[in-house]
Amino acid sequence: MTEQRKPRKHATEAAGRIAPMVKAAISENLRAKEEGKLVAYTFIVCAYDEIIRAMDIVPAWTENYAAICAVKRDAQRFLEKAEAENFSRSLCTYALCGLGFDVWREELGAMPPDSPWGGQVRPDMMLGSGQMICDPRNKWYQAVQHYMPDVPVYEVGLPWPPYEKDYDYREVQDYYIKYIVEQLKGLVEFLEHQTGRKMDWDRLGELVDITDKTWNMMWETYELRRAVPTPMGTGDAMNTMVPISFMMGSQEAYDFYKDLYDELQGKIAAGEGVIPDEKYRLLWGGGLPSWFALTDFNYFNSKGAVFPVETTYRIIEAVYNFDIDLEKISDPLEHIAWRWLKYWTFWYDKARKRPGSHPDVERLIQYIEDYKIDGVVMHEAFSCRTWHPGLIWQLNQLKKVYGDIPSLILESDIVDISSYSEVDTHARIDAFIETLESHKRG
Amino acid sequence: MTEDSINNGLAIMDGYYRDYGGRAGELKNQGRQVIGYLCALTPVEIITAAGFIPFRIKGDVNEPITQADTQMETIICPLVRSCFDMALKGRYDFIEGLVIPHACDSITRTYDIWKYSLDVPYSHLINLPHSTDDSSLEFYKQELNTFKRGLGKYTGKEISDESLTRAVEVYNQSRSLVKELYELRKPDPPLISGTEMAKVLIAMMSIPVDESNELLPGIIDEVRQRDVAPARKSARIMVVGAQVDDVAFIELIEDSGADVVVDDLCPGAREYWPMADVTDDPLDGIAGRYLRKIKCGRTYREVQTDYQNSLENRFGHIRQSIKDYNVDGVMLYIYKYCDPFGFEVPAMKSYIESLKIPVLYIEDEYSMSTIARLRTRVQAFLEMID
Repeated sequence: MTEQRKPRKHATEAAGRIAPMVKAAISENLRAKEEGKLVAYTFIVCAYDEIIRAMDIVPAWTENYAAICAVKRDAQRFLEKAEAENFSRSLCTYALCGLGFDVWREELGAMPPDSPWGGQVRPDMMLGSGQMICDPRNKWYQAVQHYMPDVPVYEVGLPWPPYEKDYDYREVQDYYIKYIVEQLKGLVEFLEHQTGRKMDWDRLGELVDITDKTWNMMWETYELRRAVPTPMGTGDAMNTMVPISFMMGSQEAYDFYKDLYDELQGKIAAGEGVIPDEKYRLLWGGGLPSWFALTDFNYFNSKGAVFPVETTYRIIEAVYNFDIDLEKISDPLEHIAWRWLKYWTFWYDKARKRPGSHPDVERLIQYIEDYKIDGVVMHEAFSCRTWHPGLIWQLNQLKKVYGDIPSLILESDIVDISSYSEVDTHARIDAFIETLESHKRG
Repeated sequence: MTEDSINNGLAIMDGYYRDYGGRAGELKNQGRQVIGYLCALTPVEIITAAGFIPFRIKGDVNEPITQADTQMETIICPLVRSCFDMALKGRYDFIEGLVIPHACDSITRTYDIWKYSLDVPYSHLINLPHSTDDSSLEFYKQELNTFKRGLGKYTGKEISDESLTRAVEVYNQSRSLVKELYELRKPDPPLISGTEMAKVLIAMMSIPVDESNELLPGIIDEVRQRDVAPARKSARIMVVGAQVDDVAFIELIEDSGADVVVDDLCPGAREYWPMADVTDDPLDGIAGRYLRKIKCGRTYREVQTDYQNSLENRFGHIRQSIKDYNVDGVMLYIYKYCDPFGFEVPAMKSYIESLKIPVLYIEDEYSMSTIARLRTRVQAFLEMID
């Protein structure tokens, strides 16, 4: 059951606003259902956020709810429920937590007892996604359907070209775009069928424009974190990812990053950092966080270490840095498709210029240089084969093509707290701090 | 056809199984070129049409994973880790290229690790979509075209439609012969054991398709003409899972007193039964086979009408095999960390049980170290069926 813990201390006022926002969104989902609005289970980083909003469908972000259960240290009972259904505990624990919750809710015909923040709403549809990453995005909802056979699932294919030696991605991008647009059209048709309403294409166009603005604003805001001392760390970024992940295509998301931008500028002008005496600047170089142990970021802070930058959840680039002018693409579905493809291929050109490099490695190098980084920390979550394969290799490759830099890979999970030991984790952080210190001394 | 291949095909395949890769290495020394690949979703027809021997990289359940752990996280499918470990240890040094399909996260997300670590002159990832609708098929065909063009560029010779059609036909012939061999498992007792069959299929992953086609008719005759009929066993079992490239588990079931008579595995019925249509543009037939006909858990099958229909679409072929091969029990044999198949388990298990067929679900780790523990569970299940 829920373990009462002190909330993590934030460096920014903006990050402190996030928990109430998420709680309000969960309540909004429950209320929407009561009011007869259609609710869709969906995933973050799926490119169709604006489409859902333009169709007035209320998104229920299932990864988010699993993370909430984890933050509240109340996920184990849902994981066990899924395990009792013969889902292996080695599978994605976001999915297992969600499945366990759904199985339980279906059994009871009501929310499981003491569900975190009132529970996860029963959806009217589930929108899966086939990408280059994340098998659970096309398996999770199919598995849920076994317990909710009346709830339709729609699957959208969203690939991007791989980084290859033998051809440039631009040689294939046109047919990728054509395919993504076709897939998004299929989604629109599905949603029109479900809602009995037609898509308002002008409105979709407006939401797409808001998203571009939001991407730019978020990028500019996060770039402010280059300042020494840095005004915001990764611990806060694990909160401030909420608007871009769960509210994309809304004015509220844009306004949030504008407020954060102003707040960070104020802190920089006042010379105010995450911690007063910044000794080590670290890059969170990969891996989703252990949602039940976000206070570990404060532990790093207590040792004089800050994280001015992270790759995780920085799921945007400034669209004006793309090699095409998105403003000229008036069709909203094509616009979304190009934004999607250009995001995933953004680091390809840079990687080609450095022999032996790779887009993921190149991104680490860029951040190391731009943010004056002393060391790289990653987290290997045992249940996720989406973001966590290749972390060791990236560090090996970084060393080969760039140079030696202290690094640490923490091991645990995103949701399953039984994989975590605070004592061991802190001991590893302590040892890493010593390494950083000796590396600095040369 | 040699005398050996007529009379001794099973023994030859057994040798290829035991010395996996030996034949491909031998051919490499004779000047042939070998491309390594992972997963049954790699379109081997294109590799063959380009003049290469496609060689399926397999793991080794007897070999502890050591070198792979220095570059690949232990949270990845143990089969993929074992394959990579074997490659790093030089077992497959004869391959000059690597082809990986977008199969599952464990394969796709480790592509870069493979590519950079093996440092082979040619590598390619084929982006196989998850959906099977028309636009996905068209996209996949474009991907196959990119692969075909790239491989042709690598060899310096364009891959012609004629050579592709020839490859389609020769693989279809191979699949027909395998299906014929499966037919010999229908009698009770079956004429060929599950272990023998698995060895043939695994060996076939490592040799040119022409050589398989030369050996298979002899094997079929050899099995048909066996003097001594095998003893009847207590139960007829079907094994369902992802890639099972070792006979250890099947042997365990058969040593425990049952016959493995059919499967939904790779290599196995899932991989060998679907044919590629011979089409004007050969890529149409190839695309249709790999995207739509091979029923792998990694591919999402759209719900056409209702959920029951969706189950039929996903698992109806298993029901058909249960009926055709008179199956008494099904074992779901899934590796740890396998998301595409792991999420299938409750639906698949309840679907099969609804046919009044008992199911044993086993999660394993791709290592001989677990076999003793599995034996107890398998025996208990067989006793329950009995």
